Amino acid sequence: MNAYAGLAQRWVYAFILGVCAVIFVAGNVSAGTADHSKFVQLQQEFKSGQDVTRACLACHTEAASQVMKTQHWNWSSLNPNTGQMVGKKSLVNNFCIGIASNYPDCTSCHIGYGWKDKSFDFSAQENVDCLACHDTTGTYRKPSGLAGHPVYQEMEYPHGSGEIMRPVDLQKIAQNVGKTSRYSCGACHYYGGHGNGVKHGDLDNSLEVPDKDLDVHMDALGLDFSCSTCHRGSGHTVAGSRFQMNVKRSGPLLRGMVEERNPASCESCHGNEPHSAKTMANIKPLKGYTPVSMAVIVNNHSAKLACQTCHIPAMSRGGVPTKMMWDWSQAGKMGADGKPYETKDAKGHLVYDSKKGAFALAENVIPTYVWFNGEVRYTTLGDKVEKSESFVPINRFMGSPTDGKSRIWPVKVYRGIQPYDPVNQTLVIPKTYEGGGDPASYSISFDWQKAVAAGMAEVGAPFSGNVDFIRTQMIWPITHMVAPKEKTLGCKECHNRNGGFSGGRLKDVPGLKAVQFRLD
Amino acid sequence: MKLQKSIFLGLAALAVGAPMIAGAYEGDWKRGDVYYRMVCTDCHKSQPCGPIAPNSRTRAEWAEYLELANGHAKGKDNVKHYMSKTYRASIASKNKAAAKFADVPDDQLFADVKATLMRSAKDGDAPTGCR
Repeated sequence: MNAYAGLAQRWVYAFILGVCAVIFVAGNVSAGTADHSKFVQLQQEFKSGQDVTRACLACHTEAASQVMKTQHWNWSSLNPNTGQMVGKKSLVNNFCIGIASNYPDCTSCHIGYGWKDKSFDFSAQENVDCLACHDTTGTYRKPSGLAGHPVYQEMEYPHGSGEIMRPVDLQKIAQNVGKTSRYSCGACHYYGGHGNGVKHGDLDNSLEVPDKDLDVHMDALGLDFSCSTCHRGSGHTVAGSRFQMNVKRSGPLLRGMVEERNPASCESCHGNEPHSAKTMANIKPLKGYTPVSMAVIVNNHSAKLACQTCHIPAMSRGGVPTKMMWDWSQAGKMGADGKPYETKDAKGHLVYDSKKGAFALAENVIPTYVWFNGEVRYTTLGDKVEKSESFVPINRFMGSPTDGKSRIWPVKVYRGIQPYDPVNQTLVIPKTYEGGGDPASYSISFDWQKAVAAGMAEVGAPFSGNVDFIRTQMIWPITHMVAPKEKTLGCKECHNRNGGFSGGRLKDVPGLKAVQFRLD
Repeated sequence: MKLQKSIFLGLAALAVGAPMIAGAYEGDWKRGDVYYRMVCTDCHKSQPCGPIAPNSRTRAEWAEYLELANGHAKGKDNVKHYMSKTYRASIASKNKAAAKFADVPDDQLFADVKATLMRSAKDGDAPTGCR
């Protein structure tokens, strides 16, 4: 072999070896930098969730202390703008009403283990549930009634059903932990209010695998955003709580910018003037306008309209209905056999339950539009409420057309008829959790006085012994299920042909003046 | 030179073979979920039987069904065909999921769908109805 042939052969060897190296790397390196299945700490049979957490904390030494500073852990925080304590721990709603005395059910969505009553130890690090957020196997479940624990051994669930629930494989789940996903976040956030899509209207399990029409960002075949793509955080603090919203037009939040503001907003990525001649190119311009001038007009809208107002044409678009009304006063009816019963609609959705009352559900709901400046005020347990034909606001979105801070937002208006104390004139928390077998639970006794007495005693709040029902209302911001630009609202959805608002979506929004153009 | 050649061949074999030895492909349940919902369910929605909920069968029933030579379409064919590259190519122009996964090897996509069905079956870890 001459010198040239030898050199050529070496180059061929080097090339082939390089290709093999690429194959090796591609086959062994995933998106992460650690293969948890190789960690000795995780190669054991775990008996409980706390055992897993202890193993996690052996390496992730600061994780639990970080989690303990978050709303996900405390379910309570002070809103510095209003001075109110907010969060599930202290507030009342008009779905399941309140967590006090109902902990084992509600806390199946707490990122902890064992919150079964008010004595729960919020300082015990092993009580932090790492797997609720970091499971990637899609097999980790925390059934309601188990106070945040998964199933550790075969059990009949629900009790008396004859159905057997198998234990979760803690070792497998622990060895496969990873980033959060639409599945892991959704395991709780899609099911708020004790059912799929019940609470929010823009969050349900259709977002696990959404198409582009349902959500242009989360489109499983397109951008495929996870929740954390927008709800970015650090140190286990997740940005974008509905309890402390930010509606300012703050402009883009670019890499490297150090600002204490919520990155989970449209503007953080798109800026304040996202429309251009290019983005308007496929939209028929108004008479006398060009794509450039159309872009200017639409960008000007963002001074008064939240992006969501035009880009989320309807909520509950994924085939899952959202709850629009819950009438607790209808609870307690018995079937012909004298036993509690349930009624479902034609699609199989629950619309009556003797233990809970009557429900109204809806899909493809056009939102209500309100002026909103980011401040939300709550009616808390001790606040006086007055029964009337109108609905008592459990929360109020503050804002006006003239405060210089508000924009028009799409919201879900959800109404309820719930028990209250007519003597003390306060909202009340009834005990409805039946798992402990407490005869005071409404689900067992069907006696409101007993149920409310138990719930109010749990929080140490006064109760006169009388129960009546009161109409209430909650407002929920609509900010997910962003449609692609082809499906956003056109001018005529809000404006009539003379530029006014009568007959359009914003007809009930105060303070709007007709604009000077014609929609012909 | 022979020694050099042997070392080279050994390294190459290790590089290519190690990932395969490290773990057989277990199936990506998330990708299987996308395919099940966006291809299987998408087609079944317009067929006489309607969508088929994963939790309508047990894991054993799904496992048996997936291997049946004539389990699909009332005994007409094997459901594996509907996860094949051939089938995906035939519907790629009208189904974005089939187009996106056009090049996924047949056995991998089959394992993906199987993984999601094992998870979502009636007795699976996360029983799942139709969505």
